[in-house]
Amino acid sequence: MKINPLFLLLFAFCTTVFTACKNEEPEPDGPSLTLEFDNRVGAQKLVLGTTPYKNDFGEEFSVTTLNYFISNVSLKKTDGTVIKFPDQYFLIRQADSETWEPKLKNVPEGDYSEVSFMVGVDSLKSASPIAGRTGVLDTYAYGEDNMWWGWNSGYIFFKFEGTSPVVPANGAGLRPFQYHVGGYGGYTNQAPNNIRTVTLPLNGTATVRKSISPTIHFVVNLHKFFNSTTALKLQETKSVHDPSVAAPLANNYVNMFTVDHIHND
Amino acid sequence: MTRLWAGVWIVLLVWSCSSPERTGPEVSFTVPANFPKPLYAFERNPLTTSGVELGKALFNETLLSKDNTISCAECHSQPYGFTHHGHDVSHGIHNLKGTRNSLPLQNLAWESEFFWDGGVPDLDLVPIAPIISEVEMGETMTNVIDKLRATKKYPLLFKKAFGTEEITTARFLQSLSQFMLTLVSANSRYDHFVRKEGVTLTNDEQAGLHLFQQKCSSCHAGELFTDRSYRNNGLFLTSDADEGRFRITNQEKDRYTFRVPSLRNVAVTGPYMHDGRFYTLEAVLDHYAENVHDTPNLDPILKASNGQRGIALTQQERQQIIAFLKTLTDEEFLTNKQLAVP
Repeated sequence: MKINPLFLLLFAFCTTVFTACKNEEPEPDGPSLTLEFDNRVGAQKLVLGTTPYKNDFGEEFSVTTLNYFISNVSLKKTDGTVIKFPDQYFLIRQADSETWEPKLKNVPEGDYSEVSFMVGVDSLKSASPIAGRTGVLDTYAYGEDNMWWGWNSGYIFFKFEGTSPVVPANGAGLRPFQYHVGGYGGYTNQAPNNIRTVTLPLNGTATVRKSISPTIHFVVNLHKFFNSTTALKLQETKSVHDPSVAAPLANNYVNMFTVDHIHND
Repeated sequence: MTRLWAGVWIVLLVWSCSSPERTGPEVSFTVPANFPKPLYAFERNPLTTSGVELGKALFNETLLSKDNTISCAECHSQPYGFTHHGHDVSHGIHNLKGTRNSLPLQNLAWESEFFWDGGVPDLDLVPIAPIISEVEMGETMTNVIDKLRATKKYPLLFKKAFGTEEITTARFLQSLSQFMLTLVSANSRYDHFVRKEGVTLTNDEQAGLHLFQQKCSSCHAGELFTDRSYRNNGLFLTSDADEGRFRITNQEKDRYTFRVPSLRNVAVTGPYMHDGRFYTLEAVLDHYAENVHDTPNLDPILKASNGQRGIALTQQERQQIIAFLKTLTDEEFLTNKQLAVP
């Protein structure tokens, strides 16, 4: 078949127009990497509801909600090259097992030895135009389990709620605790910033290949939330809803994450 | 033939690329001659006739509240400069009380921070605050969008405004912004006077204007009658005093400071102050003249070097300033049918 050069030109033009159109771009079908978040309390599996746990101070508690945002993942190759994934935002919700193992898409082939991620949503995205807030960044996604502060615009990065017998009873006779952490610095960067980054060696390598999409299995231990950088006792602090007092909580929860093992399959 | 098809293909591609996000004629946003440059990013959300129409319907829509009883217009009523007239603090669903006085909605294109403490820095994010507040509309964004999707009316209005029937959070908020941006008040007697459009002020009003310029305009500055700063104007602090902007920034200098509000339409937007504690303009002027308290972060402008607090004003001067403030009432804005409840 003889190809008309004009047609080729037109084809090239079409392709340009097509790729310029961001929304229409098909997703490249490259390998992925799964980040598995396995929430636990010490050596026990985390189960929402009435299961009683104890923190390091002997305070009994049970958990009704545990949600957190993971974003800005970056992976370091064994040769030191760092690959960033700035546009992939994940919301881990203990109540929804479908969210426990988010997939990092379009990971270049390579041997990776270190992972880093933000717990929360970066300031750029937190202050971005509404049209770009889709998926887990869309307030539509939250239902009754809200992850957005209306009065002090911004995402709730981390939400941990439950009950404890050491918390004084409220008017309804319940003993709830609620920890909501957020705060990205505000548009003018004058407000509290509780964005924290976790960096962890993989103790091995995640070998991403065309046919291998590895899984990094993180253990996330709530004991560290109560007791790592700061001692946080339920009896003393039962409720945090304000970025200005949440820094100690953020400083603790970064220590919850450890890499348990890697699956290279 | 092949060439023809290639041509059609290009047309289709170009068409699919040209954003389907906007339909209908764009509305040009007119900046009043005596106003500065607007701050809203219009390029992100260009106003269209159908977008504004949708925003207006949503503004007056009670489905936005949990029990479908309250719309935005409930606490932002046009005849009162889009405030909750006569209420010190606003009432939401089940008559629950908020903690602050509802601010007028006007000239929002010239604002970059919203609410008394500036906690929301983008007009497009403003409506989420009252919708999800338990004491205001008490609803979730999920339910609001789902309720709108279930109507006959809204998918069609969204299609008119955005090209498809899809109702998303972004489209919902952008159309509300589009309507709110049309709430421009710039045709008060004062405006006609400064623009030399054949209006004169009475002697008392003129005297009031001069006093205002000397004694009030360092904060209520310019044609918008606010310098957009946060200040502590020496209100008596109750035991559970609202900490104002401190709640947002956690900076000591911001404790007990609140946004300087615009004074346009001030005669119809009472009661006054963040908690609506003053019911009349006389009470406001009396506060500045006689009752400024020396509380933490009291604005230095209200404290003379000799320790004297407040603004020296005789009874006559107070009356003249009030006479002037009444010239800021924009009857055209307050009665414009295009902005009214349908």
